[in-house]
Amino acid sequence: MKDAEFVRAYEIVGADFTNAGRASTSIKETLKDMGLASALIRRVAIAAFEAEMNTVMYARRATMTLHVTPAEVTIDVRDEGPGIPDIQLAMQEGYSTATAAMREMGFGAGMGLPNIKRNTDELAITSEVQRGTTLVMKVHLN
Amino acid sequence: MTGATEPGAADPDRPGGTAGLTLESIRAATGAEAVWCPDTAVPVAGVVAADLMSDVLVDARPGFVLVTGLVNVQVIRTAAIADLAAVVFARGKAVPPEVVDLARQMRVPIFASRESLFGAAGRLYAALGVGPAEPGRRRQA
Repeated sequence: MKDAEFVRAYEIVGADFTNAGRASTSIKETLKDMGLASALIRRVAIAAFEAEMNTVMYARRATMTLHVTPAEVTIDVRDEGPGIPDIQLAMQEGYSTATAAMREMGFGAGMGLPNIKRNTDELAITSEVQRGTTLVMKVHLN
Repeated sequence: MTGATEPGAADPDRPGGTAGLTLESIRAATGAEAVWCPDTAVPVAGVVAADLMSDVLVDARPGFVLVTGLVNVQVIRTAAIADLAAVVFARGKAVPPEVVDLARQMRVPIFASRESLFGAAGRLYAALGVGPAEPGRRRQA
């Protein structure tokens, strides 16, 4: 089974809007090369992109890791940043702490975490204020 | 158009509907210039109009065209991630070279229209016969 596993890590830099989305684009291309179904790839890519944009908007840096097994695609994002004081509140559609500059980039509508949940089969969020946030997202292949 | 985001799905049964709708139909209806588009015969599944890419990631379906007043590289990345057919930049805004370069690199056709976002979306709604999404409900993935 170990031979069938694939792992790749991406470094994401906070406030780097020029390169924001590159990791998610690479993940999408990787999954395409693996021959996964396009609808499933799209769900993973959207979840990864939302998480990447959250990192770029709010955190100093993060590591995003893609892990593929025959059973599931897992993406975990571990950031160093301000953390989320109230995860339940952040999960509500429309709740946002985005600045005007973030909205000018087209993000910060308060749909990121809810949309990640919508596009994944499992989502776990842990956060420590002033330390950082970890997201673990899973999409089942079967 | 009642909100910032109005996805309209293809409705082939509607008279004058979207059966056979292509990028050329979109270009003609919005009076747009093709900034980068290698094939205008690509079929289109529907239209979404929005300036917030967060909303596009929720509402757009594969094969939709995005009409937007926002012009930056994140629009292209969003379109590529969401498997959109093309982007129409409204409001006559200049499309910067870095946006054109990324569109070419990611193979996302782009058009530029002098119409307002409201005007472009309205023309597509009227001329192409797309059906609006059920009011007040967002699509579930």
